[in-house]
Amino acid sequence: MIGVFFLVLLLLVLTLGLTGFSDRILSATIGEQLRGERTALAETIRDPDEMEKVLDKRREELEIFYGLSTPWYYRLPRTVLRVLTLDLGEARTLRSFDGSNRVFDIVTERVPNSMLLLTTSLIITATIGIIAGAYLATRQGSWLDRFVSAFAAVSFAVPTWWIGILLILILSIQLRILPSGGMYSTPPPTQPLARFFDLLQHALLPVITLVLVSFGPSIYSIRTITLNIAQEDHVKIARAKGLPESRVRLRHILRVAAPPIVTGLMFGLAGSLSGSILVETVFNWQGMGRLYYDALAGTPDENVIVALTFIFTLMYVVIRIVLEALYVFLDPRVRYTD
Amino acid sequence: MSTANALRELLRSGPGLAGTALMVLLFVVALYVLLAFPLDFGESQWSNPVVWVDNPKAVPPVWINALRGGTRPPHHVFEGTEPHTVQTARSGPVHTWRFPFTYDSSHPPTFLAVTLTDVNYAERPPLLLISLKRPDGKQLRIFRHAVRGPREDESGPFKRYAQTPLRVQLSTDEATVSAVQEFVADEFGLRLDGAQIGGRVDRILFGVPGDEADEEFAPLTGDYEIIIQAALRAEGDSVGKVRFVVGGAVFGWMGTDSLGRDLARGLLFGLPVAILIGISAALLSTAIGTTLGIASGYLGGRADIAIQRFSDIVANVPVLPLLIFMLFIIGPSLWIIIFILVAFGWPGLTIQVRSMVLHMRTNQLIEAIQSLGASRRRVMFRHILPQIAPYVLAQLIFAAPSAILAEAGLSFLGLGDPSIPTWGQILETGFRTGGIYVGYWWWIVPPGLCIVLTALTFMLLALGIEPIVNPRLRQPAQ
Repeated sequence: MIGVFFLVLLLLVLTLGLTGFSDRILSATIGEQLRGERTALAETIRDPDEMEKVLDKRREELEIFYGLSTPWYYRLPRTVLRVLTLDLGEARTLRSFDGSNRVFDIVTERVPNSMLLLTTSLIITATIGIIAGAYLATRQGSWLDRFVSAFAAVSFAVPTWWIGILLILILSIQLRILPSGGMYSTPPPTQPLARFFDLLQHALLPVITLVLVSFGPSIYSIRTITLNIAQEDHVKIARAKGLPESRVRLRHILRVAAPPIVTGLMFGLAGSLSGSILVETVFNWQGMGRLYYDALAGTPDENVIVALTFIFTLMYVVIRIVLEALYVFLDPRVRYTD
Repeated sequence: MSTANALRELLRSGPGLAGTALMVLLFVVALYVLLAFPLDFGESQWSNPVVWVDNPKAVPPVWINALRGGTRPPHHVFEGTEPHTVQTARSGPVHTWRFPFTYDSSHPPTFLAVTLTDVNYAERPPLLLISLKRPDGKQLRIFRHAVRGPREDESGPFKRYAQTPLRVQLSTDEATVSAVQEFVADEFGLRLDGAQIGGRVDRILFGVPGDEADEEFAPLTGDYEIIIQAALRAEGDSVGKVRFVVGGAVFGWMGTDSLGRDLARGLLFGLPVAILIGISAALLSTAIGTTLGIASGYLGGRADIAIQRFSDIVANVPVLPLLIFMLFIIGPSLWIIIFILVAFGWPGLTIQVRSMVLHMRTNQLIEAIQSLGASRRRVMFRHILPQIAPYVLAQLIFAAPSAILAEAGLSFLGLGDPSIPTWGQILETGFRTGGIYVGYWWWIVPPGLCIVLTALTFMLLALGIEPIVNPRLRQPAQ
């Protein structure tokens, strides 16, 4: 996972450097600052020639200060080190909810919102998947089983965000049952309980969207895993010992199936993360995904976009490490062999 | 298994048959689009507002009337180049175009517009007159335009409206409003001021005053006729093209967006683009994945370790954030999108192909070929590749939908290639301009359905092929 992290950082540096984007941004910043200083200096310096000389000198100072005088392959790694310590710079136009322009503030206040959406839908999907998957494994070949595998195949062909748009169109525009976007009503309720229910109401559609698209494949993969394990010898032995069926399912099938299920979740994670970026955009959910959309629309905010890409990768890596730890916990073989 | 047999088996399975049929259909439509549409459709038409100026804005498709039983007015466009009749008056030849049509909607047209192109005259400028003949026998002149005369330092013959045609929106034209004012005063004895008429020109022209309230005009259905006359001053003067539009509230098979763009055309053009994205991304990433997988499995040793490490890392990169970032920096381009999708799309296949090759490496056929002295490259590509080719083909088809969906998602974030309209971009404009919140379903639902249908076609085909190429999934013979 550390390798992933470094590859992403390397790609960030190469794209920023090789395209000259970083240089352009810096010279724009310097130009802006010089323009500000020129008006200030115009008060004291009257002679235009002297003015130019002073400004040129100032430009050189600024270029050294911002590192534009050094080539990007020296400068950018240093920037990366800075970013690694979560010193993310300042946003151009975007502000955090309480008005800060520090990218760190803007991004971090949205992390919980994103996590709320992502983990809720992930847990619901996994729960449905385990319950329905384990059930379907006992009904192999039934019409329900065939239906679920067809449904799973269709799910791969459907863009999550479009389902979100459809749900808005049907449930909130036509039928007016649920709010079409945002996280709270305006004005938000002040009472904690009412506020919670308001949040719940607003979270319903995005969560439904994320679950709707991912629960089919989840059931299908868990069904297949369970089915493979149910045919193994130790299950037959457990049954032959006369253990109650529920115990066989829980202790001898599901328990053994747990590690590969977690692996499946790990592989699905990147997809859910991408899905949630777009779903947040559709539902105006104030998470990191929506921030991407806001940072891209109108005048793009480079610092925010760089920071978001970084934080997203970081978040992804962290969740992966948590899942991997869970895997080690669930699979004794991994623990004992090393 | 021979190719013919495989094909027969493919067509026997449900998903295989459906996928093949859909794929053939999609390719036929895509081929038609490639032949019928200019290749620079995006720049020359889709993003060019002039093309769509005469279309009604944000209206549903025509079939909505049949579906909901409404009577939304249809869209009429009348165009004439050669005059229908030529008379000679004292002042010179008079060219006349007559456009009869039946109006049976209970709503007035959404707008009336006239466009004049290519006027040539030798000395004195021609005069253009447009009248509307109503079913109740009343006729009124709704437009009168004197073509601009010669400038001081200009010499004849004079050309007008050649590059930029003259277009007048009659519904808001001052002269038309006063003509309508006169008309209601003379015919119905109603005294209305300009403010009362403004915005209701179409309603009054295509209606009669109601019984009690003189403000209200009930629609008048029946046969109308639009008469366009050009009074020319000399033999040889000419009007190149006249165009009269009676704006409807329904348009075409798929309706229009808020710029009046014909969504059916946009959706059609999106098909070859989607197929191109899907197939080229899938083809390239499969090629890389297979090559590396064979090399990794067959060569073994350090090459194997290096390739496995690398593909393990690449396989775990969260692609969407990185795609957004790179497109933002490099600039939106379809080729960059495909390139990045390929760059991150190959590792899954590499890992699978490697494990297949590992099994195969030890079989006797390969050993025999090796002992005959075949080079490593020859073994890998002449003897191993053909054996895994069917499996690779299925994976190739599986890879296409994800590329199509990825491009759609990026376009939806506003990172689509602006010179090439795609389904994702149509959805993006519908979403960004708020079309979704006012319920413009014909703008939101069809592009998504197109994406799903195309992606599903590839999925079905892959599902149909998989049991044939993967013996473990093959059902026992009955």
